[in-house]
This record gives sequence, structure tokens and C-alpha cells, in this order.
Amino acid sequence: MGAGEIPLEVEALAGPARDRELVARCRGGDTAAFASLVSLHEHMVFNLAARLLGDGEEARDVAQEVFLQVYRRLGRFEGRSSLKTWIYRIVVNQCHNRRRFWHRHGRDREDPLDERLLPPKPPGSRLPGPYEQACAHERARTVQRALLALSFPQRSVLVLREVEGLSCEEVAAALGIPDGTVKSRLSRAREALRQRLFGLLEEGDPS
Amino acid sequence: MNCSVVRKRLSRWLDGELEAEATRRLETHLATCAACARRARQLRAVSRLVSELPALPAPESLAASALDRLDMTRRPALGFLFRSFSSARPFILPSLVPATLVVVTVLAGVLSFDSGPLPEVHLAPDGAWGATPALGTEGNPVFPSDGIDLPRETTSVQLPTDALGGNGSVFLEQLVARDGSVADVTLLEGDATDTASLVSALRQQKFEPVRYRGRPVAVSVYRLISRMEVRSPRT
Repeated sequence: MGAGEIPLEVEALAGPARDRELVARCRGGDTAAFASLVSLHEHMVFNLAARLLGDGEEARDVAQEVFLQVYRRLGRFEGRSSLKTWIYRIVVNQCHNRRRFWHRHGRDREDPLDERLLPPKPPGSRLPGPYEQACAHERARTVQRALLALSFPQRSVLVLREVEGLSCEEVAAALGIPDGTVKSRLSRAREALRQRLFGLLEEGDPS
Repeated sequence: MNCSVVRKRLSRWLDGELEAEATRRLETHLATCAACARRARQLRAVSRLVSELPALPAPESLAASALDRLDMTRRPALGFLFRSFSSARPFILPSLVPATLVVVTVLAGVLSFDSGPLPEVHLAPDGAWGATPALGTEGNPVFPSDGIDLPRETTSVQLPTDALGGNGSVFLEQLVARDGSVADVTLLEGDATDTASLVSALRQQKFEPVRYRGRPVAVSVYRLISRMEVRSPRT
């Protein structure tokens, strides 16, 4: 197979069938199938790593490491969860390792993410003006800063739930922890974030 | 059900994970306890703020460099098979197709989240003024989204920009009531040297009442106020 060919027919399949087909081809040494696996998941992997680490450069590094891990461990993928769920776990573990590494090496600095790339859709159908963009940018930075103040386990549960939109059961499957743990971490994470983002309210509240 | 039990259960309630009876009792409490109702509103805003974080697209070169690294680790054995791969350039264009699909899917997801039913699934139906403050009232405001416009200002006020502290900006929530007046102002982040005058100025603003499905609704608006608003950009 030439270098430029992508097995597009694999991408036309959905869900478990596509996962099985991709995994089988990758195990057989089909590099194009692996390229297609990468392009299917690279945005999720990068975005998740960026939100968990709060640093775009590190997220890029971790994303590459994740795909190497995926390739090396494909032989152990059993298909009990979806490929995506399986990759979530690798991303979270890699990010956790990276943070521990920072901690050991006394690194406590983050290059803030560039939030300007894709501002959320503005209300109504108008295009966002510079002012709306600045607001969205500032809001995203505020929320990301507050996220980084959470403990890693709380942050990973919250990001999988709210950013990736997983259900509590899916988060539990992705992290390999009990359902109840997900719910209590979620509750604590939301409360911690509430205090951080709305803490000023209680003091400055006129009512 | 007392306040501390309610507060422990709010997160599960937001996720729709409470049983019917517990849900009913919790909502009965929220209808009568302003402090808990406020806390529920803040938790919902927290979820919303996190879920609305913009999607950060992967750098264009990510796929290529991931494949490069894979190629390097395999080179000793199979390098000759993948020589053309080391440039990895040919993969960029074809990989744009699925990459675009992913972006479109993510965007569609975000948009549909926005316009889909708000998470208040346990609320009484329209018209039945049940236990929980009805959606769109001041106790349970809506957020600007697809069908709900940003409120338009009718009475503007001069904001006291001297009240802004060190970094010159504050991020706040303004609750626009059904009659277009400002019911509540909540400072979320940033420091103001004179919070009271800023808040009272914002409370004097008047808006055209926002309508949703023919009814006036209370709207919660997030705003960033900065010196930018009245001064020319820094030179």
C-alpha cells in the first residue's frame, strides 16, 4: 500500500465494527490504518490533554506519546470497551504521569492555552465581534485556571463528564473506577469550582 | 430535607441521578430556600462554563509527527517499508477529511448542546407553577442561546471605570429580570477597588425584556467589563 492511501472505507463504518477493523489492520502492520486511527482521535486526544494539563506544548507532546502507547498496546485491546474509551484512559494516565514528573522536577508553570482559536458560538446568528471574542477568551481562561486548581482526579472526572460529554457510567469505564467514586468526585469537583468561580459572590453579595 | 443534605445531592440532581421521591423533596426545598436555589443555579452555571470551553483543535502537524515517532521506533526492523513515510507529508491532506469530520461533529455537538433542552428536566411543565421556580423566572433564568437573544440595552449607564482594580477587568453575571431591569449582579472574577459603585451602576441598566416562546423570560448574562469599554486600546 502506498503511503498516501487511507482506508476510507474503514471510516465509513461506525462504532465497534470500525474499531475492530482498524485494530485488526493496525495489528497486521498496516500503517495507513494507524494513520487513520490517529486522525480519527487526534482532536479528542489533544483537547483532553490540553484541558488536563493547561499547556498546549505539553499537550502536543503527550498526544504523540499517547499514540505511540496506543500502537504498542493494541495487542492488549480486548474490545470490551470502545476504542475511544480505551484511548481516554491512556490519555488520562499519560497526563497524570506528566504532572507527577513536573511535580518531582519542581515545575509549576503553565504556558496558558491559546483560547482564541475557536470561541464558542455567539448568541444569535451574528458573527462574534472583537469584544465578544475577548469576552469568550477571558471566560475560557478563567475557567481553565479554576480547573487547574482542582486535584488531578477531580479534574479528569469533570473534564470527561462536561467537556467530552461522557455519562457517569462512561467516565467510570474510561478511568476504571467505581460509579459511586465518579459521582462523589464529580460532586466535589463542581463544588470546588463553584467556590472558586462564585466565591466572590458570597462576600460581595448585596442581598 | 435540610440544607446540608440538599447541597450534597445537588450534583446528582443536576445529572438526573436522583430517584423520583428524592428529586421531588429536593425541588420542594429549592422552592422555599433561596440560598440553596442560588447554589443550584451556580452549580448549573459551573457545568455550563466547563462544557462551553472552546474545542482546541490539534496542531496540524500532530498526526504527522506522531507517525514520524512511530516510524522511528520501528525503523530498525521495517524501516525500508516505510521510507516514504518518514516525510509523512502525504498524510496531511487525506487526514484533513476525517479531521474535518471530527471538527464538524464536535461543533455540531456543541451547537446541539446549546439549542437542546436545557438541563432542567425535572421542572414542572410550562404553565404549571410547580415546586421549583419555573424556567425563565428570576429564580431560574435562561441563558442566551439559539432561540434566546442577548438582551438589548435601553438605558445605558456610565460605568465607573476607576472602580476597576489592578488588571482592569472584571468578569460578572448580570441577571436581567422579565421586566428588563437588572435583578442581580454577581462578581465572578477580577478585582474591583469599588465593587459597590460598579454593581450599583450595572443594576441601573435597563434592557428590552427578552422573550422566549412568546413569554418574557429572565436571562442570565455573563459579561466581561474592562477599561477597553471606554478607553482606547493601550498604545
